[in-house]
Amino acid sequence: MMRYLGQRALHSAIALGALVMLVFFLVRLTGDPASLYLPIDASVEQRQAFSERHGFDRPVLAQFASFVGDVLRGDFGHSIRKDRPALEVVLEAFPTTLSLAVGTMVIAVVLGVVVGSLAAIRPGGMFDRMSTLTSLGAASAPDFWVAITGILLFAVALGWLPTSGTGGWQYWILPLAVLSLRPFGLLVQVVRGSMLSALGSAYVKTARAKGVGEATVVFVHALRNSGLAVVTVAGDQMVGIVNGAVIVETVFGWPGVGKLMIDAVIQRDFTLVQATILVTATAIFVLNVVIDLLYVLLDPRIRHR
Amino acid sequence: MLHHASVGQRSRLRARIAWPCALSALAIGLGLTASASAAERTVTVVLSEEPDVLEPCQSSRSNIGRVVKQNIVETLVEIDPKDGQITPRLATAWQQVDANTWRFTLREGVKFHDGAAFDAAAAVKSIDRTLHATPIECEIRTKFFGGLKITAKAVDATTLELVTDKPAPILPTMMGTMTITSPSSPMDKATNQPIGTGPYKLDEWKVGQEITLSRFDGYWGPKPQAERARYVWRTESTVRAAMIAAGEADIAANIAVQDATDPKMDFSYPNSETSRLRIDTTRPPLDDRRVRMALNYAIDRGALRGSIFSADVEPSTQLVVPSINGHNPELKVWPYDPDKAMKLLAEARAAGVPVDNEIMMIGRINIYPNATEAMEAMHAMLQAVGLNVKLKMLEVAEWVNILQKPYADDRGPVLLQAQHDNNNGDAVFTVYNKYHCEGANSTICDKKLDQTIEAAEKATGDERRKLWQEAFRIIGDDIIADVPLFHMVGYTRVGSRVNFQPSISTNSELHIEDITFK
Repeated sequence: MMRYLGQRALHSAIALGALVMLVFFLVRLTGDPASLYLPIDASVEQRQAFSERHGFDRPVLAQFASFVGDVLRGDFGHSIRKDRPALEVVLEAFPTTLSLAVGTMVIAVVLGVVVGSLAAIRPGGMFDRMSTLTSLGAASAPDFWVAITGILLFAVALGWLPTSGTGGWQYWILPLAVLSLRPFGLLVQVVRGSMLSALGSAYVKTARAKGVGEATVVFVHALRNSGLAVVTVAGDQMVGIVNGAVIVETVFGWPGVGKLMIDAVIQRDFTLVQATILVTATAIFVLNVVIDLLYVLLDPRIRHR
Repeated sequence: MLHHASVGQRSRLRARIAWPCALSALAIGLGLTASASAAERTVTVVLSEEPDVLEPCQSSRSNIGRVVKQNIVETLVEIDPKDGQITPRLATAWQQVDANTWRFTLREGVKFHDGAAFDAAAAVKSIDRTLHATPIECEIRTKFFGGLKITAKAVDATTLELVTDKPAPILPTMMGTMTITSPSSPMDKATNQPIGTGPYKLDEWKVGQEITLSRFDGYWGPKPQAERARYVWRTESTVRAAMIAAGEADIAANIAVQDATDPKMDFSYPNSETSRLRIDTTRPPLDDRRVRMALNYAIDRGALRGSIFSADVEPSTQLVVPSINGHNPELKVWPYDPDKAMKLLAEARAAGVPVDNEIMMIGRINIYPNATEAMEAMHAMLQAVGLNVKLKMLEVAEWVNILQKPYADDRGPVLLQAQHDNNNGDAVFTVYNKYHCEGANSTICDKKLDQTIEAAEKATGDERRKLWQEAFRIIGDDIIADVPLFHMVGYTRVGSRVNFQPSISTNSELHIEDITFK
């Protein structure tokens, strides 16, 4: 196990290094930060002076050498816009995104698995039809529209929930509901499909023939085999949210890493882009290792290999 | 056990429970009342973005200015949003000693939030910080004081002398942008802890969540009603408007036109922006005056107003609003006359002007509401008079490269969608940059205009106003450097608890002291 983790960490470190290098050069192709940071009527001289102050006038390779040196010392640079260490800005925003991702996945997986399993018990039945309709609707609803409609309905018209912002449990309801919709919809479909094939398999028939109760058959024997598909889809969805739940962060005013990254790109805040990508990429690598370990836990065949 | 208790026991028990219940209910009630009254005296403002920094030197940026300017840090003078006149703030009087020297008499008895006295020495240090502390990125320095050297000196405790390297006749107007911070502000780096003399001091900035200010008891001026101000931010205009409707916030400084649906809450105000199409007069066929006239006759401003543009915008004749010193009221709005446009183009074509060259219309996505639709409509209007126009919409990062010098040598004829904001009292903040040969965003070069601009920059009073008006006449009538469009409006949503009137300065500042409770 330790050897496996060590290998994964090494591969991840190499990939991360390559990614950071790529981002460093790509982001500099977008143009001159001075023309976006300074007022639009700033003179050519003022823009040149700005570039000199921040070292953007130096050859890109020289900038890269300094960047690598700084990173090796643990310094990820200074965000021009925020006038603070870039890593500090990102690490402040990251817990928000992570908590959104975890909350969303807990809701989506629990609801998705329960609804998907129940739908598979009687294919074509009323519950199955309803859940298919609901899950397809949930998976395909545009989250921007759902978010704004949710605010107008639950916060403005009914006054049950706050419109946006962070705070007590009430503030979590709308963002989590909006974020959970798509993963929930997908998971219902995935669980239903894999449960249907599991419930038709020989080992389930054997279990039934042995007189095992229906609930145990569905939720213990069949569901465990569907676990792999659930982990794959849920993991993929979670990676997407860790990468930034931009729309939910933007609409609900949650200070997460997704909006931070988009703003940094738009404003050509190079160091902040680099730090954001580094932190989210690290989180995604860790998440992938966790997903791999879950596979091992769920599937003895992988364990024995 | 309770169900075996007698009636008497039960009533005693009830009494025993009732008293603590009543007391705690009272306590809760009092607590609620106390917190309700605190909440009543707190104004909540919802901004469109979180300020990147709270450095007073950057307070010309709108979301920073709306928090710090005149609330936390004040200026020596203010520009009256109604008429552009200069009014006293930290300075009570000012006079020009000679062409290059101004003296300001400072208000006495003023204290900074950290207890330091505001005097001429403190003002000198603050001005030096803004103008010369180069480790600090400072938009006020770049935007308003570029190309001018100022030496600040304390003559005595209440007299500040500013000596410039060239005549600066509107130095008092320019000082309306210069925020004054405590002598304890760091000179070698920016600060997010602004310390000023304003009616409010910074309490806390919870990054990502909110900024809170509280009333400064030692303020020199009248005591404002609001005890606290709380700033939050939401990028989506619909959410900002919803927060006011739901009573979560009191003022949304700017909301989109489509969200300004309630006349009881939503107020339009001239936001000091003026929109135009900038004509690159150096490239054929746009180098021909008849073609530039035709462009102006071809645009149906009446049809654009109230449809794609708000019904509250005013058709413009020049790049500054009427309250700015130097605005020329004699200039006329271009009438819509497509026949005349076609006739002018035919004349130009007959004279050998390559009228059929492709003209690129370059727009900026979201530069103002419905920016793309506006460009599409104008594209159709220009096509209708027979011009060969092509439309391209760009993101701000690419658009800025077209707007700013150095321009590409191989560029073709361009009509650039732009808007310009000047609420600083004088045309100088507009004309040089936009129209002088050396201006950072200028696409014209005219000797007579340059001479007029240079003369206006040095002049004062009536002469100055007349020279700027002459400059605008040359730009609008002689050269026809633009397709002027509209003086734009913004929308502010104000909740039912407070009184607040947005003005032309709401784009860059939001005075909490002026807000009263109903």
